[in-house]
Amino acid sequence: MKLSNTETIPGHTIREFYGVVSGSTVRAKHVGRDLMAGLKNLVGGELKGYTELLQEARQEAVDRMVEQARSVGANAVVNVRFSTSSVTQGAAELFAYGTAVQVD
Amino acid sequence: MKFEPRLPRDDVNVSRTHPLRETAQLVAGVTLLTGAFVVAAFLAVELGVRFLPASWEQRIFSGWTEGLDEADARTEPVQDLVNRLAAHWPENPYDLRVVILEDETPNAFAAPGGSILVTSGLLDAAESENELAFVLSHEVGHFRGRDHLRALGRGLVLQVAVQTAIASSAANLPALITDLASRSFGREQEQSADAFGLGLVQAEYGHVSGAENFFERLPDARADFGDELGAWFATHPVTEGRIEELADLTRRNGWQDEAPLRPLHLSP
Amino acid sequence: MEPWIEPAIRLGFPLALLAVTYFIGSTVERRHQHNLRQRELRSRNLPALTFATPPADWRIEDSALVTGSVVISIDYFKRFLAGLRGLFGGRIASYESLLDRARREALLRLKESAFEGGYRAVVNVRLETSRLASSTRRGEGTSGVEVLAFGTALKLPRV
Repeated sequence: MKLSNTETIPGHTIREFYGVVSGSTVRAKHVGRDLMAGLKNLVGGELKGYTELLQEARQEAVDRMVEQARSVGANAVVNVRFSTSSVTQGAAELFAYGTAVQVD
Repeated sequence: MKFEPRLPRDDVNVSRTHPLRETAQLVAGVTLLTGAFVVAAFLAVELGVRFLPASWEQRIFSGWTEGLDEADARTEPVQDLVNRLAAHWPENPYDLRVVILEDETPNAFAAPGGSILVTSGLLDAAESENELAFVLSHEVGHFRGRDHLRALGRGLVLQVAVQTAIASSAANLPALITDLASRSFGREQEQSADAFGLGLVQAEYGHVSGAENFFERLPDARADFGDELGAWFATHPVTEGRIEELADLTRRNGWQDEAPLRPLHLSP
Repeated sequence: MEPWIEPAIRLGFPLALLAVTYFIGSTVERRHQHNLRQRELRSRNLPALTFATPPADWRIEDSALVTGSVVISIDYFKRFLAGLRGLFGGRIASYESLLDRARREALLRLKESAFEGGYRAVVNVRLETSRLASSTRRGEGTSGVEVLAFGTALKLPRV
């Protein structure tokens, strides 16, 4: 499955398009991650635990979006966009969406 | 279109001011603002206190101590002592009422409305009438200075100041400043209450002997009682300076402080 | 207890914390900025562009969606400074540098991830910033910022 955040897959032409597909996941972190974050809050720096958490969640959101695309028979998703929102204390929703298309 | 790799400057999106300098400026700003507010508010309280007649005060706050009186048998003799001492203050506008609180910790307060609150612990710890007289006179001195009202007003003002500034809550800086401000004012009032109290004792007994006995017993007492006597001294901080002040005052007025003490009779 | 002891402790502890976090925080930041500059120099030959249409003369062999993200936290001193700023208004310099670092880091990771996949350019680069809203104590949240950079990476024939 080809993915792109441009309006086309570079080097290809879109034959058919099927509409919006999306994937989302809500992930919470476990307490261990927050403890280190508490310390990092004092001295600053990258919160690696959170970075990894969000990367994994994002990958899962993309995978779900791809699954939706596959279910409509697409072979590519174009104009992919992301959105992150904090839904509740210690949890984030990762949302990926795009247009499922058939390219040649 | 040809790609030419060029790197932009990386200091554009960050501010040039050194963080320490900025901190100093902001902290100075906060301190000034809070300080100005505190000064203005305390002045307002001063004016309010001066213009509130004692009769109004008694009417407004009369309900305060209503539920507290434990109908102690010792109320009458203590009230009698207070009346005798207050007789030496001819301009006394208050109808001073003694209320005894059942509490092991020795303490005494001047409450708005003209009530002198005394704990049973204080009465138990007193060893002569003279030292009890001094503690009571000290509280009467607070009434003379309207200190209790001032404390009330300032307490309210500070609460408001802290709450409004708490939004930023930058390490509680405003709270700290107002806290420090309120402490330093308190000492002046304590000293003048001490001086007035000593004067009343001198007027009643003809000497000031025994007045500071409580203070002198304190270092040993603190070892024995630990926190208990500490309570009175938390609200009435005792330092060596305070004892010296009293000694100074005695000397300056030529008062006698070597005379037999009157024993304490608290049973009716 | 001497009357000045309590206010001294109440003032001293936050001051000490501020001093410590200032020094550690500014060291961490400086090191990061130096590291960012190095990597930017090394990756400057991989173009990251915000337009969607690649140059017409590029022969694109393959493409893929790539991302780069980072979550950075702010230190105690910077948060304190930002709080003070909140009283007076104006530029919050401490947050500016935080976001700048986060964005540069995310962009670099995007480029590095594209490079590792054998891609030689990224088009339609977009940046998204979001705040972390997890808190351990009331009013003292984890002040972290996540920056996501994503785009379409292109495989170009070796020139």
